[in-house]
Amino acid sequence: MNAGLLFYRIILRPLRQERLRTTLTVLAVSLGIASVLAIELAGDAAAGSFRSSMETLLGDSSLEVTAIGGVPPEVVTQIATLPYALKIHPRIEDYASIMGTRKTVPLIGVDLLAESSGMTGDSANQSGGDNLNAQDSIWIGNTLGYKVGDKLKLLINDTSAEFTVRGVLGGNSGDMILMDLAPATDALRRNGRVDRVLIEMQGGLTADQAETILRKALPENIAVQREGTQTDENRRMLEAFRWNLRILSYVALTVGAFLIYNTISVSVVRRRVEIGILRALGVTRTGILAAFLGEAAAFGVLGAMAGVILGRLMASGAVTLVAATVESLYVSSKPGTITLTWENVALAFAIGVVVSLIAAFSPAWEASKVAPVEAMARGRREHKTRIHTLRSLAFAALFAAAGWFASQQEAVGGKPVFGYGAAILLIAASALAIPALVAGLSTATSGILKALFGAEALLASRNLAASLRRTSVLVGALSTALSMLVAVGIMVGSFRETVIVWMDDRLQADLYLRPAVPPGADRHPTMGADVVGVLEKLPEVEAVDQFRGYEISYQGAPATLGAGVARIAGRYGNRPLLSGASPQTVFPRLEGQDAVIVSEPFANKHNVRAGDVLMLPLAKNRVAFKVLDVYYDYSNERGFIIMDRSTLLKYLPDPAPSNVAVYLKKGVPLEAGKQSVDAALAGREIFVAPNVNLRREAIRIFDRTFAITYALEAVAIFVAIMGVGGALVALVIDRRREYGLLRFLGAGAGQLRRIILFEAGLLGILANIAGMLLGFFLSLLLIYVINKQSFGWTIQFHWPVRMLLSGLSLVYAATLVAALYPARIATQLVPMEVIHED
Amino acid sequence: MTVALLVFPPGSIENGAMSIVRLEHVSKDYITEGAPVPALRDVNLAFGHGEFIALIGRSGCGKSTLLNLAGAMDFPTSGTVSLDGVVTSNLNDSGLTQLRREKIGFIFQSFQLLPTLSVAENVELPLMLSGASGVGEKAKEKLSWVEMDSFASRMPYQLSGGQMQRVAIARALVHEPGLLLADEPTGNLDNATGELILALLRRIVKEKKTTLILATHSTEAAAAADTVVRLSDGRVQEITHPAKVLTP
Repeated sequence: MNAGLLFYRIILRPLRQERLRTTLTVLAVSLGIASVLAIELAGDAAAGSFRSSMETLLGDSSLEVTAIGGVPPEVVTQIATLPYALKIHPRIEDYASIMGTRKTVPLIGVDLLAESSGMTGDSANQSGGDNLNAQDSIWIGNTLGYKVGDKLKLLINDTSAEFTVRGVLGGNSGDMILMDLAPATDALRRNGRVDRVLIEMQGGLTADQAETILRKALPENIAVQREGTQTDENRRMLEAFRWNLRILSYVALTVGAFLIYNTISVSVVRRRVEIGILRALGVTRTGILAAFLGEAAAFGVLGAMAGVILGRLMASGAVTLVAATVESLYVSSKPGTITLTWENVALAFAIGVVVSLIAAFSPAWEASKVAPVEAMARGRREHKTRIHTLRSLAFAALFAAAGWFASQQEAVGGKPVFGYGAAILLIAASALAIPALVAGLSTATSGILKALFGAEALLASRNLAASLRRTSVLVGALSTALSMLVAVGIMVGSFRETVIVWMDDRLQADLYLRPAVPPGADRHPTMGADVVGVLEKLPEVEAVDQFRGYEISYQGAPATLGAGVARIAGRYGNRPLLSGASPQTVFPRLEGQDAVIVSEPFANKHNVRAGDVLMLPLAKNRVAFKVLDVYYDYSNERGFIIMDRSTLLKYLPDPAPSNVAVYLKKGVPLEAGKQSVDAALAGREIFVAPNVNLRREAIRIFDRTFAITYALEAVAIFVAIMGVGGALVALVIDRRREYGLLRFLGAGAGQLRRIILFEAGLLGILANIAGMLLGFFLSLLLIYVINKQSFGWTIQFHWPVRMLLSGLSLVYAATLVAALYPARIATQLVPMEVIHED
Repeated sequence: MTVALLVFPPGSIENGAMSIVRLEHVSKDYITEGAPVPALRDVNLAFGHGEFIALIGRSGCGKSTLLNLAGAMDFPTSGTVSLDGVVTSNLNDSGLTQLRREKIGFIFQSFQLLPTLSVAENVELPLMLSGASGVGEKAKEKLSWVEMDSFASRMPYQLSGGQMQRVAIARALVHEPGLLLADEPTGNLDNATGELILALLRRIVKEKKTTLILATHSTEAAAAADTVVRLSDGRVQEITHPAKVLTP
């Protein structure tokens, strides 16, 4: 009880008196926690959306049967006629766009007659039982906002048609359109194939038994798996992406930790005399340690309280960005609802308190070591810190060496665990080297600064060196935030440049065609099989390549199986290969052969090299495909297996292409070629994009993908700058006697302001130097270790000079702006009052 | 010794041309908890060039307030303070700053050397702040005058109290001010060192014809002055010769 009262009087009450410092520290912690929480919530919401509406709508099934290219009707019949108590639910899953709204929603085809009794939720709004399998009948999810009888024009693949709403689904149906199986197969050109058959066990049959029965009964190219396997695969695929985002979200928290450290250090320095008195009055060392850790914990708790609210708000913005990236690079998804659970709240509080306690431990421990009679001058204390810079440098070298060693290690379970470790070690090495950098640079430059800018610059430089410990923490916080800006800036800039160069090589055709319904990383809507024939007949056209993609699962991970016309791709295309071999020599070897090339992300993910053999379930028996080479690819992270079209058609005889590339004859103007193609395809919903548009769209998606990383960096930098502002306020308050003295010695208010601004400017320069150096090394880690091990992409290093210059200048300017308020405080001090305070 | 100190009756301003600092009907109130607390009441004083004046009185009698007003650090609540004929109330902040740079030097009880600057840099500071030229030479000359030139490159924490105060005196003199204001300059020193500092201050007045106003509790320090002004409750209680101060 007494301890609590003492804690309140000595630790908590002063916090109320220093509202600005307390508020800034709490805000810094809360923003760090909010970043972590927002990314967690947004990631959950984006990943949660894999569970399709139908999964919840139709209840649970334990098994599902799938096949590349769809389950043939004869297999469905075979399962249905098996002499076991199995109930089957064949299903088609695709997407349709509602014309006029640009909204793309899942289009599900089910056997409505069989399923209607098993549907969950309020299906009372259904009507038109006579129209169940009418070609224009649809049932819609309850969030789409249509009512029974409404007419909807839907874009399915490259065809648009009008449909009538026969019912509105209840329950959690959400945004979806439901059709009967037969019209759905027609609309989606499935030739009777379904995407999956859900199996429901009856009569006491277990899932294991049913799985054995089905595996035995069905050919080898038909997969029997537990329902939700694909969702799990998608989740696993997203793990690396989520992990990288998570790590990035912790940067703001790390910067916040620096500021907690600084706040508690300031608190300890200011209360040194108080600590001495308390010790003399009988407070134990543990009591002092607990008091300062308690102060840090208070910041953590308050930060978590604000962080939970801020995090929930930030998650709303983050989920859009995360979902857009997931959609572009991984899998079709629709952001789910953001759900703030008690676990999330507990996590926020745990992070807040634990990080605050860790950050505060060193200064709190130091406080506990103060002897009762000790009231040392700051000068001596700082002198001690200066002496330790050599030892810190030695540790920095050790940490850097350990970081280098860690960077050389392989991924663990597909995660760049050692890469993250190397990044942490490098940040620690930088933090340890910063006191030497500050001391060295301020000593080396104070003479020059004095000559160039006079007394104000000299005083600012000496002040920074004199408060070495505090300056180092501030430079550490700001440089950590800046290093992430630099590192991610270089990584993204390099990636962007690599993608641009890759597109120059890869996109050699003049026009690219796809169905107007928006595609996704895992969606390959098709065009009519006659499209290529129509185009080949055009006088402007030199050659036409076509691509067909199928989603497959390879070794438990989603991938894309595709085929192009090897003859044309080899002749006109320029797909860069890892081996350095020319496509003109490799592609002809694909023609008509059971041979493939694979994309780099696929090769890295599955440890596949040229010469290896892939077993793919394409025929009744698995087929062996020889890997001829690996090609660079940056279009998505799922990975591609590419074969010649004739080979694919041999196993999956559906001729409809997903994409078409048109090479115009020499001398044919692009616009004329496009007009001719448009005219030839009039009446079909096909999107024709000139090469340049495709590149522009790719770069737009690329930039959108990394928008969240910039948003997280912005938060970290904001926290750091806020910390600099708050710390400068503390510095001004602590040095008020010196500022008062300067007024006695003839310094004007403007000169005091300039001293503070010089200090902020020097802090900014030191942070920029440290941030650039650390950022450069972190960028190497990101490009060559973390990114490579997480996503499998080879990125060519590139300096994004303009981005770095503008980013660093902006941060520098913001640092100076943050110093204006402390400068104002300095100019408003009353010299006569502060000069006699000691 | 000529005592050019003038306590003039209200309305009759005499000897104005000779004064470096002149206080006419000066009162100063501080606001404490919303109520004015008088620190000086209707003080009329004028000090001429080259005089050594000691301000004595109990704590809170107004010594420091008088020094601050004379040093252009503060404005009176009523009345006027003139420095070399310039009325401080007519100046803005930069005007006051300029006045301090040109005419006033301060010496403090706790020396107030900046710990981050070397001895020479501390002495150079007022000149650098005013943008003067020949900063290094002038600082060196003043350090030599106080016999601290051999300590020029040391840091303050490497000096004794007496040495620090001599450096502070060199700093106060570096811009050749006409008025030197010293607030308990021997208060943190032992008797022997205090004597040396007082001798140095005496020498400044004699050789440089600088007016020195010294606020002190010390009768020994007051004894070094030409004139002693005793303050009580913000009023000038008496003006005496030092010999009288020493008389019990």
